[in-house]
Amino acid sequence: MTGPLSLGVEIGSLKLKNPLLAASGTCGYGVEIAHVVDLSTLGGIVTKGLYMSARDGCDVPRIAETPAGLLNAIGLQGVGIRAFVEKVLPQLRAFDTAVIVNVCGETVEEYAEVSRIASDAPGIHALEVNISCPNVKTGGIAFGTDPVMTHEVVAAVRKASRLPVIPKLSPNVTDIRVFARACEEAGADAISCVNTFLGLAIDVETRKPKLAFGTGGLSGPAIRPLAVRMTWQAARAVKIPIIGIGGIASANDALEFFIAGARAVQVGTMNFSRPTVYTEIEAGVVDYLKRHQLSGINELTGTIRYPGL
Amino acid sequence: MSARPVSAVADRVCPLLKRESLGGSYVLLTFEHPEVARAQAGQFAMIQPEAETDLILRRPFSIMDTDPEAGHFTVFLKAVGPGSKAVFDLREGQGARVLGPLGHGFTPPSPGERAHLVGGGYGVAPFALFSRSLKGAFGPFHLFYGGRSAAELPLVAELERRGITLTLATDDGSRGEKGRVTAPLVKALDRDRGPARLYACGPEAMMFAVAKIAEERGLPCEVSLDPWMGCGVGTCLGCVVKIQEPDETKPKNRPACTEGPVFDSKRVVWPH
Repeated sequence: MTGPLSLGVEIGSLKLKNPLLAASGTCGYGVEIAHVVDLSTLGGIVTKGLYMSARDGCDVPRIAETPAGLLNAIGLQGVGIRAFVEKVLPQLRAFDTAVIVNVCGETVEEYAEVSRIASDAPGIHALEVNISCPNVKTGGIAFGTDPVMTHEVVAAVRKASRLPVIPKLSPNVTDIRVFARACEEAGADAISCVNTFLGLAIDVETRKPKLAFGTGGLSGPAIRPLAVRMTWQAARAVKIPIIGIGGIASANDALEFFIAGARAVQVGTMNFSRPTVYTEIEAGVVDYLKRHQLSGINELTGTIRYPGL
Repeated sequence: MSARPVSAVADRVCPLLKRESLGGSYVLLTFEHPEVARAQAGQFAMIQPEAETDLILRRPFSIMDTDPEAGHFTVFLKAVGPGSKAVFDLREGQGARVLGPLGHGFTPPSPGERAHLVGGGYGVAPFALFSRSLKGAFGPFHLFYGGRSAAELPLVAELERRGITLTLATDDGSRGEKGRVTAPLVKALDRDRGPARLYACGPEAMMFAVAKIAEERGLPCEVSLDPWMGCGVGTCLGCVVKIQEPDETKPKNRPACTEGPVFDSKRVVWPH
């Protein structure tokens, strides 16, 4: 061991007291779950996606459970960045946790404007750029599945904000490394890896999709090996830190992402059923670091014993 | 919504104390959970077995009865899909992850108002707890309970054991009056034209029918909506319902778990 054990990590200029974040769309704006989870036990929370204006989202049914997974098409229902800054943020500042705003837009200009407003508000620590939501008709995944558009959006947010910029990549691409590199070149400080996988579940009696929107995004333990593989690929393609996301439900799951190359991780779907899972994950990670005589996450990140192909 | 104090919410792994089969796919389950044991009528808990399976989400169950002193609560459930089946299959002594109490319950009637409770199928469950609070502190009330057949009125004996007078109706006439449960409700409202408040919990068509009766007669009415729910705390936004606020131009999607499940029927935009 090289020093006293610490779970703190740095994502660019963003300092997290531990590497466990609540993923966007699974913890509301944080305040909703504060009566169930002690938010100060989290490294940070990533808000539900925010556009300039409030949005009402998709029709129901919006969620369907699949084996070890959850298919959703919520459609980025949200209050909009101004209402968030004015009404929610003051309550969030009371908690000792990093606040990362998930930035959405239908146009490059909207992404930049939301980012500008977020940057001017005290108490927001970083921006996660949502270029990967599969459940909206304009924007979202369209920006995240074309590397030229990815570069354009990330560069615009970079220019609009002094905060750390963290694009959230879509897994619905052939080679995620191309998108990771586009983000790095556009000035991103880190990369969130990954959003949900586009899926379709069908009610065989009615022969209609189970979700009103039709297709949806698949999350949960079902996608974990896919997300670990993409985290590993992205981490080898760029120098900026990777935040691993995909079906994390235990310390062991989080450790897989660290070893694959993640510096921090986000817990998503499990927030819905086991909102206190962070305590178990943190204890398990600490125990692992001790057993392996490591002083922190940085000594574990990217230490996979596999050269790749 | 009323300004009654809302009890603390807790997420606990708690043991199943008692399992009473009511035949077929119906069962009463009693758990130890001090916070849910203080639930108000109409509130619910999210429950899943402690043992991990491929099923991720908990399922919502309305609270049928509580024992605040002992720290126990009882849910009535029908095994309908894999999630409720997993809870149905719990054995006494096994653990469950229980989050609650959640949501807003029923508003008690105002002084002088007669309460008419209308339950359909397994939707009658919260009225057991509600009846108890009405008996203790409020004026007269009546419980109408309807289902497709006698076999789909599994809680009759349980409710009668609690000293509740029931008016029963079945579609096939195998128990109580033949026809819809709203028919005896209308008769009762015609008989006694004093101030009244309606409460409905059951199939959507039944709740819509009760809401319409209330609207026609200018009576206040609350309905307990039951959309597919993912988290129970307002974060997944899976259970939204269309709600029209009086001061807004168009209806908005609002989570039933945190803003309901009990709503003023006038605010609900019915999908008909």
